[in-house]
Amino acid sequence: MVLKVSHLGWCLMVERKKIEIPAGAKVKVSVGAEEKFPFDISPMYEGERIRKEDMFVELGGPKQVKFELVLALPAEQVEDMKVTLVGPDLDEMQEGKEYPYAMIYYIAGSKVETDLEPVIERRNHDFQNYIEGYMHLNQRYDVWVRIGKGAIKKGLKSLIQIAKATMMLYKNELPFIEKIEALYITDKALVEKLLKEVAMPIYEERDKRVEMLHDEDVQEFYSCTLCQSFAPTNVCVVSPDRPSLCGAISWFDGRAAAKVDPEGPNRAIPKGEVLDPIGGEYSGVNEFAKQESGGEYERIKLHSFFEFPHTSCGCFEVIGFYMPEVDGIGWVHRGYASPAPNGLTFSTMAGQTGGGKQVAGFLGIGINYFRSKKFIQADGGWYRVVWMPKELKERVSKYIPDDIRDKIATEENAKTLDELKEFLKKVDHPVVKGVVRKVDGKKITEGWPEEKKAEEKVEEKKEVPATPAAAQPAPAMAMPMQPTQMPAFQLPAMPMPAPQAAPAGIKLVIKDAKITIGKIVVKKSKGES
Amino acid sequence: MTTVAVTGKGGTGKTLVSALLIHFISKKSNKVLAVDADPDSNLADALGVEVEKTLGEIRELFQTSRDEMGTMNKEQWLEGKIYEAICECKGYDLLVMGRPEGEGCYCFANSLLRGVLKKLTRHYEYVVIDSEAGLEHFSRKTIDSADYVLIVTDMSKKGLATAKRIKELTKELKLNFKDIMLIANRIANEAAEQRIKKFADEEGIKLLEILPYDEKVVELDLKGIPIVNLDEKSGVYRRMSKVAEVFLKG
Repeated sequence: MVLKVSHLGWCLMVERKKIEIPAGAKVKVSVGAEEKFPFDISPMYEGERIRKEDMFVELGGPKQVKFELVLALPAEQVEDMKVTLVGPDLDEMQEGKEYPYAMIYYIAGSKVETDLEPVIERRNHDFQNYIEGYMHLNQRYDVWVRIGKGAIKKGLKSLIQIAKATMMLYKNELPFIEKIEALYITDKALVEKLLKEVAMPIYEERDKRVEMLHDEDVQEFYSCTLCQSFAPTNVCVVSPDRPSLCGAISWFDGRAAAKVDPEGPNRAIPKGEVLDPIGGEYSGVNEFAKQESGGEYERIKLHSFFEFPHTSCGCFEVIGFYMPEVDGIGWVHRGYASPAPNGLTFSTMAGQTGGGKQVAGFLGIGINYFRSKKFIQADGGWYRVVWMPKELKERVSKYIPDDIRDKIATEENAKTLDELKEFLKKVDHPVVKGVVRKVDGKKITEGWPEEKKAEEKVEEKKEVPATPAAAQPAPAMAMPMQPTQMPAFQLPAMPMPAPQAAPAGIKLVIKDAKITIGKIVVKKSKGES
Repeated sequence: MTTVAVTGKGGTGKTLVSALLIHFISKKSNKVLAVDADPDSNLADALGVEVEKTLGEIRELFQTSRDEMGTMNKEQWLEGKIYEAICECKGYDLLVMGRPEGEGCYCFANSLLRGVLKKLTRHYEYVVIDSEAGLEHFSRKTIDSADYVLIVTDMSKKGLATAKRIKELTKELKLNFKDIMLIANRIANEAAEQRIKKFADEEGIKLLEILPYDEKVVELDLKGIPIVNLDEKSGVYRRMSKVAEVFLKG
């Protein structure tokens, strides 16, 4: 039940230590569990809003400095069930006023790790809301607490009682916490100082972890089936390196939701065995996909564009499209209404790809997947990207490697395939001479062929559903699919909207296709590769 | 908790009914939540209060800032923002739903919102919702359900047609309400009164109250004075006080 995140070994970790209380500060100390509380404790008080008219005091909130923090410490440093309050207590506060507030918990236990601090810290919100007459909102440096007049009337006298109740809940609900100690502060100068010197650097350290945490560091991914009402076979697999397609759910959100409701729309997916570390294929994910899609899909590779790509729901923020003419990938976001160089708009492509289909050649993603270190790494990552709208490019610019950023065209450089070709040639984009996959140094594309072989295209034109992209001449790309009558230059990017749209004699069954991008080989049409 | 959804065609007096209901109920209870769920009307104006932020604005803010939230808990973020947006008025709280969703995917944002609103609303004794005729928040389940659906109509053909459609819609949406009722507004004479009674009979909707045509209401409207300042002796004021009694009794 402990959410274990394997240790990441940060070099910039902030040192965890007990806070020194300045000499001469007004301090109240209490040790030991409380026998009785003058308030009820129950989940039914969650969500209770204490209205201004019923409020005794406000702690933190919009008008005061505030924060909450959990620090994992060695057991010998934590004095169990001890509360220290620095600054005025409730009986010294004036009704109707706001006060600064800091809640710091030191925790220890053999399973308690620094990685768990934020998870444990979030529970402060739940536990404190169980307390009748006490409202807790927000997190980190935004906490907002109100204490009701009713609570005071019922006998609440001190913040120490609140701290003791919270600590009791922590120990009951999270038994791996062996020792817990609290430091509450209502002294403005001290809250301000600690927020700046202790809490903020720790929050920043945690956020940096988002970028430092990778698929290989965790044991579980999370599913999201929130949009299955629109896309019944869609299974979003959310991993540290791959946020949901809608862009809303990170691995951390999945984890938080799965913890609250393990059978809800976000469930834990045990990773299982690594089948393809570059493409991001895991036995656990495959099993899950098979089960959740009703057998529709058997394999999913998280960081692959062409081979067993992730399904696309319809909610995605950005769609990627393969342009065989330049052997590169373009991306267009929802807000860009004009056609992309392949002649298609976002909505046209989204219509063909959405609905929970696995369509090789198109891929829906969330904008923050562009931040991922594993961004379509199996297919060359950023070095395979040739075009994106300026607005989108600017938004993700800092995540694009320096040596490729200027080689990716926008609508200002190219609106059509011909213009795009010109541009890519001019800037010497890797697709022109062949893309080398950064992750393992493998050359995965051959580069553009000399301009010829126009004859073979003519034949193909008849076979393929009419889309501007399909009608253009393609470079030498062999994507052997089913043993069909397809010419040698089968394209992986054919927009095949629905089975009924495919012309007679052609059936694209992605399931059994062996699509090998690793090495591009041109073969005569004599069947399977 | 008792939830009353007030709905009807725009311009029939739906917001007037909502505002006066809130006015009367909050005199008896200090746990009242008013919800403005109609982007075209302005419940806050009718109540004479000012609202700084709407739920729609928060949802947009969530959509644009979620990528920068790091390891922050998004549900708690959203909850905090909603609680900040709730206007604490004298005797009641007011939440304005604001404009509908923009483009993009709102599955996650709405799923979080539903959870937050459910937890929030259960602590009030009365929730009064001023809802547009399409009952969008009910169909999207951002608002869970209502105990009473109160349809407001005047004698206009469109008003009556909308009332009829709302009744059908509540069936389609499977809103598990206890009762669906009608309030007729701006009924100027006996003939009109007869006609509305007949309509309610035919449609099988309980006619809860008939509000007269009231010069004082028109006057406030023209001057832009909040309707809750209506003269206590006016017919509409007195009859609405009776309507509130029905819900106060539960």
